[in-house]
Amino acid sequence: MKNKQIEEGATDRRKFLKLGLLTSFTAIASTSIITNLAAQEEETEKEATGEVMRLLTPDGKIVEVSASNINKYPEAFITPEESRKGIPDRKFVMVIDLAKCKNARKCVEGCQKGHNLDYHQEFMQIKLIQDNPLAEPYWFPKNCMHCDEPPCVKVCPTGATFKREDNIVLVDNERCIGCKFCVTSCPYSARIFNWEHKAKFDDKSQPYSPETNVPGATGTVMKCDFCPDLLRQGLLPHCAQSCPEGVIYFGDRNEDIVTNGAETVRFSELINKRGGYRHLEHLGTKPNVYYLPAVDKLYELEDGFDVNEEVKERYKNVPYVQELKKQGKI
Amino acid sequence: MKSNLYNHTFFISIIAALLLCTNGIAQQIDLSNYSMRFVFKTVKQADNSRLLEVSFIGFNDADRKDKLPVFGAEIQFLNVLNDEEIILGSSKTSKEGTAQLILLENQKYATDEQGYINLKARFNSTDALSIEEADIMVKDLHLDLNLSEIDSVKTVTLTAFTINSLGDKIPVSDLDVIINLNTMLSKMNINEGTIIDGTYTFEMTESFSGNTKGELTISSIIEENDEYGNIIQEKKVQWGTINKQVKFNDHSLWTKAAPIWMYVLLSILLLGVYINFIYTIVNLVKIKREGDNIKTEPKKNYTVY
Amino acid sequence: MNIQSRKRELFKEFAPRLETTSTVSKIYISFLIAIILVGIYAFYLQMSEGQIVTGMRDNVVWGIYEVNFILLVCISYSGAFISGILHFFHTPWKTAIARIVEIITVLSLLIGPIYILLCMGRLDRLHYLFMYPRIQSPITWDIIAIITDIVACFIYLYLTFIPDFAILRDHCEERDIPKWVKKMYKTLAIGYQDTKTQRDRLHKITRTMSAIIIVLAIVAYTVLAWIFSLTLQPGWNSTIFAPYFIVGGLFSGVAFIIVTMYLVRKFYKLEKYIRKMHFKVGGIILLILAMLYGYFTFTEYFSRWFSHKAIDTDLLDKLFTRYFWEFILANYVGILGPIGILFFKKLRTINWVTIASVIALVGIWINRYLIVIPTLETPYVPIQDTRVDYIFYAASWVEIALSFAGIAAFLLMFTLIGKLVPLVPMNYILDSHLETNKVKQKVNKEISE
Repeated sequence: MKNKQIEEGATDRRKFLKLGLLTSFTAIASTSIITNLAAQEEETEKEATGEVMRLLTPDGKIVEVSASNINKYPEAFITPEESRKGIPDRKFVMVIDLAKCKNARKCVEGCQKGHNLDYHQEFMQIKLIQDNPLAEPYWFPKNCMHCDEPPCVKVCPTGATFKREDNIVLVDNERCIGCKFCVTSCPYSARIFNWEHKAKFDDKSQPYSPETNVPGATGTVMKCDFCPDLLRQGLLPHCAQSCPEGVIYFGDRNEDIVTNGAETVRFSELINKRGGYRHLEHLGTKPNVYYLPAVDKLYELEDGFDVNEEVKERYKNVPYVQELKKQGKI
Repeated sequence: MKSNLYNHTFFISIIAALLLCTNGIAQQIDLSNYSMRFVFKTVKQADNSRLLEVSFIGFNDADRKDKLPVFGAEIQFLNVLNDEEIILGSSKTSKEGTAQLILLENQKYATDEQGYINLKARFNSTDALSIEEADIMVKDLHLDLNLSEIDSVKTVTLTAFTINSLGDKIPVSDLDVIINLNTMLSKMNINEGTIIDGTYTFEMTESFSGNTKGELTISSIIEENDEYGNIIQEKKVQWGTINKQVKFNDHSLWTKAAPIWMYVLLSILLLGVYINFIYTIVNLVKIKREGDNIKTEPKKNYTVY
Repeated sequence: MNIQSRKRELFKEFAPRLETTSTVSKIYISFLIAIILVGIYAFYLQMSEGQIVTGMRDNVVWGIYEVNFILLVCISYSGAFISGILHFFHTPWKTAIARIVEIITVLSLLIGPIYILLCMGRLDRLHYLFMYPRIQSPITWDIIAIITDIVACFIYLYLTFIPDFAILRDHCEERDIPKWVKKMYKTLAIGYQDTKTQRDRLHKITRTMSAIIIVLAIVAYTVLAWIFSLTLQPGWNSTIFAPYFIVGGLFSGVAFIIVTMYLVRKFYKLEKYIRKMHFKVGGIILLILAMLYGYFTFTEYFSRWFSHKAIDTDLLDKLFTRYFWEFILANYVGILGPIGILFFKKLRTINWVTIASVIALVGIWINRYLIVIPTLETPYVPIQDTRVDYIFYAASWVEIALSFAGIAAFLLMFTLIGKLVPLVPMNYILDSHLETNKVKQKVNKEISE
C-alpha cells in the first residue's frame, strides 16, 4: 500500500514539475526556509565537498556516492520531444554584472560539475576584454546568449538545435548530425563539439535529456543550456548558484524580476539604471544575456590572476596583461 | 497516516539514484570523532499544514567541513502531552540528512494548559548510533493575509491570533514579520514590520509585473519566533501590471516551419527541374521503343540520309 | 556507305584501348589503388577514433575537407556549365573536349560531396537530413542542389553517350572484347539506330538538358557560396560571394579542364583531336576568367580594408601576417601569374597554357583555404586558450591522406572510364563530318547548277 502511495506521489511530482507550477510554494518553499535559517554556513560547505559525497547509514556504514550520480528528480525527466516546448509563460534572461567579476572561475567550475564537463570544456568562458586602447580590460564571463534571432538555429539542417518559447536555445544531441554549421554561425563562439569518444558518454544511469546535456555524445555539439532542469525545480542555473560575488542574475522577463540568489531586483530597473547592454548588439542576434558595464569595479584586474598557471597563460596575448607583467604586478 | 506524498517521492528518488550508482562503496569507519547533530524544526505553511523537519548530520570534531549526513535513518515524530506520546508519523532521512513530515490542516494536536503543542522527534538507537531526541514547543498561530484595494491603494493587511480552548480569537502582539513578493526563482523583500494588537497594515505603492495572468504572489513570513515557530502565509492577487507578451512568429528562419514563400519558391524550382527530368526520360523510352521496332523489321529499308 | 565506313574507322581508332593493359598502366593503377587504400585506412581511423584525429578543433571546425569540397564541387559545376554552353550554342570545338568535360563534371560531383560527409561528426545519422529536414538551412539547399545536379549531370552525360554506345555496340563484334562489355554497350545503347526521328528526339532533349544544366550550375554555385555568406562571420558575410564563387569556380574549372586535356592528349595519343587551337581558346577563356576573378578578389578585400570594420581588420591583419605567403601565392601569383602568361599571344602554347592552368589551380585551392580557415580563427569573441591546436588549424595526416585519396580516386575512375568508352565523342566527330559533307554537297550542287 505504501508503495502505491509512493508511486502516486512520483507521478504527482512529475506533473507538478512539468507544469512548472513553481509559484505554488509547498514543500520547496518550506525546505528552503529551513536550510536558509538553520545552516547558512552549510550551503558553502556543500559546494566544497567535490565530486564524491559521503553518507552515513544508520548502521554506521559510510557510503560514497559520486555527486553527479545523484539525480535529484529523476521522475521529472524531460524527454527530447518534451524539451522542445519550454517552460510555459516564461522568458528567461540573464544579467551579468561585469563590475563585480574578479575571475574567480566558480561559475565555470560549477557549470562543468553540473554538466559533467571536462576541464577544457567550458559552456561558461571567462574572457579578458579590452574595449579600447585606453580602457582597462575587464573580465567578461560569456555563455550562450540564447538569442531571439539565433543564427545557429537558422542554419541547422535537422532541427537538432531549437529555440523554445521560454527563450532557451537547446541542442538535442540525439538529433545532431555533427555538421558543425551552427558552430561556424555563432558569433559568440558558444558552441563546443565532442571531437572524440569519452567514457562518460557511456554512463546511462541518467536518461539523456537536452535539458541537462548529460550524457554527451561523440560527434555532436553542446553548449550552455540555462539549466532548465534546475529552473523547473525553482533553482538558479549552476553558474549563478556558484558565483561567490553574485555577478550572475537570472530570472523571468515576464515577471521582470532577476535574482542572483542573495538579492532580488527588477530586471528593467537594473538594465535602465546601470546602463545594461547586450554583447555585439549590432549583429542583430537579439541576445537574452545582458551585461552591466564594468564601471566602478569592485576588484582590481590583478585580483583576477589568482588562478592556476594554465588559466593565466590564456590571457598572455592581451597587451595590458603584458604591461602588468612587466611592472611585476602579476 | 497522513503524510505528504511528495515527501516520499523525494526519498524514493534518492534510493533509486543510490541503487543505480555503481561506484558506491560501503566501509566501516570510526565514528568516535564525529559528533552527531540532531536539529528539529517546524514550519506552519501557507495551506495551514505543518511541516516537521529533522536534520541529522555527523560533524567531524577536528574538521568542521567534514560532515556525514545520515541517510535512511527512521525518524519518529510525536506529539507529547504530559507522559502520553501520540505518534504523528515517521519518515526516513534523505541524502542531505533531513527527514520531513507534513501534517495537514485538519490534524488535531494535544495541547497543554497554556496552549502549547509539544512536539518531539526521535531517532531510536542502532548498534552504531545512539538515541537522539529533540523537542519543540509551539503555539498554533493563525496568520491571515488579506490583500485588498482600499481607496485604490493596494493594501496588505495581516492579522495574527491564537484560538483558546473556548474558541475565542486572541490577538497577538510584537511579532516581526517580513512581506515578500514570491517570484519563480526567489522572494523579493518588499516590506518588514511588526504585528501589534494582532494586525499589521502596509500600503504597496510599487507596482510589479506579476506572472502572465497578472497575478502577484505575496507572502508573509514570521521567522523563528520563540512562541510560534515559523509561520508562512501567502496569497495570489490580481495586482500585476502584465508585461507585454513577446509572441514568436511561427514562420521565421529559426522556427520549425519556414516562411511560406520559401516553401513556394522551393517547390516551383524543384518541380520545374524534375518535370524536365521526367520529360527527358519519357523521350528516352520513346527512342528505345522506336529502336525495338526497327530491330524487329527487316533491315533493308534502314539507311541514314 | 560513307558514314558507315567512317564509323568503322572511328571504332578502329578508339577501340584498341579497350583490350590491352600495358605494364606501365598496371603499375599506375596499382599506385592509385595504394593511395586510395591509405585513404580508406585514414577514414577508418577517423570513424573509429572520432574527428580528434583530424586537425579540426573548436573554433576551426572546418578544415581542408571543406576546402576540397568547395574546389571539387566548383569544378563540377563549372564542368556542367561549360558543357551546357558547348552544347547549347553548338560550339565548334565541343568535339574535342565535350566528353572530357562531362566526365570531369560527374566524377568531381561524385567525389566532392564525400568531403562534406567527412566533415560530419555523425555519418550514421545522415538520413536525419531527410527525416527532419529544415528548409531554412543553407545545408538543406545545398543537399537538394547537389542531388539534383548529380541526377541532371548523369542524365546529360548519358544522353551524349548514347550514339557512341550504338557505334560501339554495332562494331564490337569485330573485336575480341569481353562479353559483359558487349552486353553493357547493348543495354546502354537502348536500341538507338540513328534514324532521323531518334536523332532529332535525342538532339531535342540533349538541348533542353544542357540549358537546365547551366541553370542548375548557377543555382548550385550560389547555394554553396551562401553557406558562407549567410553567416555573420568576417570574410564570409559578403553580398558578392555568390558571383565571386561562380567566377572563381569557372576559373578553377577551366584550368582543371585544360590540365586534363593536356594529360588526355598526351597519354591517349589524341593529338589529332585535341589540338593547339583548343589550348589557345582555353587560354583566352582562362585569361578572361582570371581577370574577372582578380577583379572580384580585389573588390572583396579592398572594400574590407577600406571600410576597416574592427573584425574585418583583425582578419586582414591575420592574412597579412600569419598567412602572408599563402596570401601572396593565392591572390598574386595565382591570379597575376596566369594573366601574365596568357596575356602574351606568343605564350599561348600548349605547354604554357597548361602551366598557367596549374598555377591557377594551386592558387585557387589556397584561396579557398584562405576563405575558410583564417575566418574561423578570427571569431568575434577572442580565442583565449593555451592549446595551440585550438587556436590555429593545421591539417593532420588523416586529412591529407584523404585529400590525396580523392585525387587518386578521380584519376582511377577517369582511367577506367577511358578504358570502356572513347574519350572523344565519336558521334560529335561524325556530326562535324556530316556538316562538312553537307556543305561540300551544297557547294557541288551550286557548282553543277
